[in-house]
Amino acid sequence: MVLAACSSQPPSPPEDPLTELTGVPFFPQTIHECGPAALATVLNYSAAPTNPEELAHEVYIPGRQGSLQIEMLAATRGHGRLPFVIEPHLDTLQAEVAAGLPVLVLQDLGALWLHRWHYAVVIGYEPARDMLILRSGTDRRRLESVERFVYSWERAGRWGMVVLPPGVLPATATPERYTRALSDAAGRLPAGDVAVNFDAAVARWGNSPTLLFAAANNAYASGDLSRAEGLYRRLLALDAGQVAARNNLATLLLDRGCVTTGQREAAMALHTADPVSPFLEALRDTNRRAQALPAAREPADCHQ
Amino acid sequence: MRLRRTLVAITASCFLSMGLQATTASAGVIGTQEYLSASDRAGQIASVQAALSRADVRAQLEKFGVNPADAETRVASLSDQELVTVSEKMNSLPAGGDGVLVVIGIVFVILFILELTGVIDIFKRV
Repeated sequence: MVLAACSSQPPSPPEDPLTELTGVPFFPQTIHECGPAALATVLNYSAAPTNPEELAHEVYIPGRQGSLQIEMLAATRGHGRLPFVIEPHLDTLQAEVAAGLPVLVLQDLGALWLHRWHYAVVIGYEPARDMLILRSGTDRRRLESVERFVYSWERAGRWGMVVLPPGVLPATATPERYTRALSDAAGRLPAGDVAVNFDAAVARWGNSPTLLFAAANNAYASGDLSRAEGLYRRLLALDAGQVAARNNLATLLLDRGCVTTGQREAAMALHTADPVSPFLEALRDTNRRAQALPAAREPADCHQ
Repeated sequence: MRLRRTLVAITASCFLSMGLQATTASAGVIGTQEYLSASDRAGQIASVQAALSRADVRAQLEKFGVNPADAETRVASLSDQELVTVSEKMNSLPAGGDGVLVVIGIVFVILFILELTGVIDIFKRV
């Protein structure tokens, strides 16, 4: 007891830890427009100001009296936010909420073969009573038992998405899944935000080949050659067999006047490629281009 | 539909036989989408088929009451795979909006009671 009194341990958590993102705004839905209302909820919370009326033009389909999941993702990108579809597990959903990200979910409130598709936003949960807390329809704070929620969520394929401001990573993402989400959105988000997202992801998952490749390509496409070169080299140091990365590194080196080094990397990429590699054609092209260049004196920093 | 599928097949085989040059980001660089879909043939075909799906999805959105200007921008914001999915399944994809299938009269009442009792039974046993 004495020891306990003297130690500087933080106080133990309360017995009934309640997670609730009380700052999530509420937009009561008008008839059939739970899609725009739910999307406005998560977008505004991520500091992308909009409203259900505006979003109805982007996601609502009058003839279907509803909104498609794909269009919810597309509209999110259009508002400068990265949509990320979470893995279909209750644990994942709760982890995202606990990390501060409300989860926009699709539920099927029907039964048997009658479907009643509904979008809502999970903002918290109460472990003591096994309840989830949602912004749903015209309910500002709807309490739903986990069993009932899972039943309706299951019927809708356990689909849920979070909306990410620049630099914020989902709590439960794998680097592969995140890279795909970011690459799908890259053309629609401001270039600076995409770079910020890649930087944050590389800081967390520096050993993911998929992520390093995508981040390097993004840096290259936006003209940051030294960042791109560093990332390609980092990936090749992890896995020398990444011929696509070696091909792109070769191209970059040729671009910046490192002809001999570029030629050597291009040749090595082709030499080490699998005979059935889907990139063979691109590797041969790069080699042809490299060999056609006249040898010249290289800058000092070509070979690192 | 048959004509469209034939067109897709022909265009797809043209692009694929060209070594997927269509998806290469710029000269000499292997693009991220190409890298991600290297093991995913569906992804490769989607990028080819998307060109043909674009007009189709826009027409479907307009048919379902979306105004033409909105339909145009909405189609432009979909990725290749998304376009193909929407084009093929516009009628069957879930559309969240609380639309209840209206079943009038006794059938509905019976189903409603079945649902309630069914749900309660299920959850009592969990």
